[in-house]
Amino acid sequence: MRDDVSWQEGERPSVAELEERAFELRSKLLHLCGTYEGAVHIGGDLSAADIFTALFHYGLHVDPHDISNPHRDRFLLSKGHAAVCMYIAMSMRGFFSYDGIVETYGQLDSAYGMHPCKVQLPGVEASTGSLGHGLPIAVGMALSGRHRGDAHRVVCLLGDGETGEGSVWEAAMAARSNELGNLVAFVDRNRQLMTSHAEERIAFEPYPDKWRAFGWDVVEIDGHDMAALVKAIDDLPAPDSDRPTVVICETVKGKGVDFMERNLAWHAGSLGAEDLQRALAALEASRQKETV
Amino acid sequence: MPVTFTFGEMLSARSVIGTTLAELGKTHDNLWVLTPDIGATLVEFQETFPDRFVDVGLAEQVCVGIAAGLAYDGNIPVVSGMLPFLSMRALEQIRTDVCYPNLPVKIIGTHGGLVGNGGSTHYAVEDLALMCALTNMTVTSVGDPLMVGEVLRQSMTLPGPIYIRLAVGKKDKVLYEEGQHDVRIGKGIIARDGTDATIFTHGTTVAQALQAAEDLAADGRSVRVVDMFTLKPIDEALIAQCADETGGRFVVLEDHLAYGGLATRIADVVADRGIRLNAFERLGIPQVYAGFGDDEELRDKHGYGLAATVAATRRVIAHPSWASSH
Ligand SMILES: Cc1ncc(C[n+]2csc(CCOP(=O)(O)OP(=O)(O)O)c2C)c(N)n1
Ligand SMILES: [Mg+2]
Repeated sequence: MRDDVSWQEGERPSVAELEERAFELRSKLLHLCGTYEGAVHIGGDLSAADIFTALFHYGLHVDPHDISNPHRDRFLLSKGHAAVCMYIAMSMRGFFSYDGIVETYGQLDSAYGMHPCKVQLPGVEASTGSLGHGLPIAVGMALSGRHRGDAHRVVCLLGDGETGEGSVWEAAMAARSNELGNLVAFVDRNRQLMTSHAEERIAFEPYPDKWRAFGWDVVEIDGHDMAALVKAIDDLPAPDSDRPTVVICETVKGKGVDFMERNLAWHAGSLGAEDLQRALAALEASRQKETV
Repeated sequence: MPVTFTFGEMLSARSVIGTTLAELGKTHDNLWVLTPDIGATLVEFQETFPDRFVDVGLAEQVCVGIAAGLAYDGNIPVVSGMLPFLSMRALEQIRTDVCYPNLPVKIIGTHGGLVGNGGSTHYAVEDLALMCALTNMTVTSVGDPLMVGEVLRQSMTLPGPIYIRLAVGKKDKVLYEEGQHDVRIGKGIIARDGTDATIFTHGTTVAQALQAAEDLAADGRSVRVVDMFTLKPIDEALIAQCADETGGRFVVLEDHLAYGGLATRIADVVADRGIRLNAFERLGIPQVYAGFGDDEELRDKHGYGLAATVAATRRVIAHPSWASSH
């Protein structure tokens, strides 16, 4: 039974509304990056902003007012450095106060810091930030859900660079071995790591085939196309099926801000007040371009 | 211009690593540099010696394993990365593949201690305990950014592995003048002399210990500061000498778990050698979830900041001595 956390009929936003929320999420991220003096992992936040929006505002069956409901879908942010994008996406869904995030981010005793911490922030499912930990934990949660006969899903978001960690593939094999159709991985395939572009130093390709070889169902989409994200979510196999699914989301690191896009210097950074305006203008311009 | 940070650029000691490795690459054609995607400051080496530079991406275990393979074939590999991940994810590779056969692999990295505000995943706080436990491993923790270069240069002649721990951040102070001290792996440095007590420390907290000694000097207290940048092998003679010369009064200050790091190393020497102390206090990280905050705030919060250091040093100085209480 999952009724109490399920989206109700007509409750889910439309694709157009989701796009609007993704824009708001990006603006809020830029504001934080322009006011907080430390580094924000803005590149990987912006590449994942549409995925976060689709998950928290459409896909995940969760109740912001009942965060320990046993029937909730579990979300694990394996690429923990995108924590602030998750905090803001969750705040827009009603989990946290946006003002609380902006006012305390990164400060002493704040619940909101560079990487998500379950000890300080109930509502996140696990403390992550050390890459390669999320998927194994997700396998454990999916196994437990299956064992309890619960119909929830476990969804895990990974960075593509992160999938260089051996633990990711050990977990992928365990997921298939245990026939965990209730497990879904999203990969933010922005084709960048911290210090290099994909294929320059690390051979990821043939990337989807790697997942197929581990026995996963593979869905390949444009990770900035909200309709495609929604469709991928709608088409997920039933949680009681026997094959885990990976949704490989082709994305652009720094998406929406031209001077950040595909720029290794913007894996993490800080915008000053002036560059904040420049970034916001770039974001607006990129929206205009896309609606034309 | 917007300010961008990569973890590399944030740390001036990192640029010292970069230039030192590029320089050593010229004199040692068997020097290799490997990194798990933390290569921002290794660019000079990478561009000069592309054939001896390996970035494995997010894969710390394989990075250390490859280094072991290279070392078996007569090479000197340096693995540069972030210490929480190198010291823990790759711990078994370090122990079994590198330390056990005593291979000359150098592990150097950042984020030792509650530094960088990344939260608990990104603080290496038990790394020195782990590394000191390993057979054949030389363990260092360096605060002065220029000393990092010197330790790397000296490490080239070590037959076995070495671990070099750095903090992170823009605030790394150059602590010593060029040539002021005889820097030698295995020897502590008397960074400031004194007679009433000794503060032993390493890494980021050397600057803080020097400040504490300065503050106490204003009260007429004469406090010695020892930069014990080599934790293993530990400078036993210097510990005995400080017991003699500073009234058997020790404070050990470190940006590491209070139990398992330098304080434990020193306490072991004191016990094994039967050194008689009058007072011993340790200041370091308690076994709690550390949280977010900047470096200084976290040290204050967890009881090993400047004020705590001054207070502890006062206490050991005020402590009655053995001779008078017995
Ligand atoms: C185990 C581990 N090693 C290194 C890091 C430092 N680090 C943080 S993000 C990152 C690059 C990650 O690339 P990717 O997974 O592709 O993320 P994205 O491009 O989405 O930012 C690195 C090396 C880390 N957090 N954890
Ligand atoms: Mg990436």
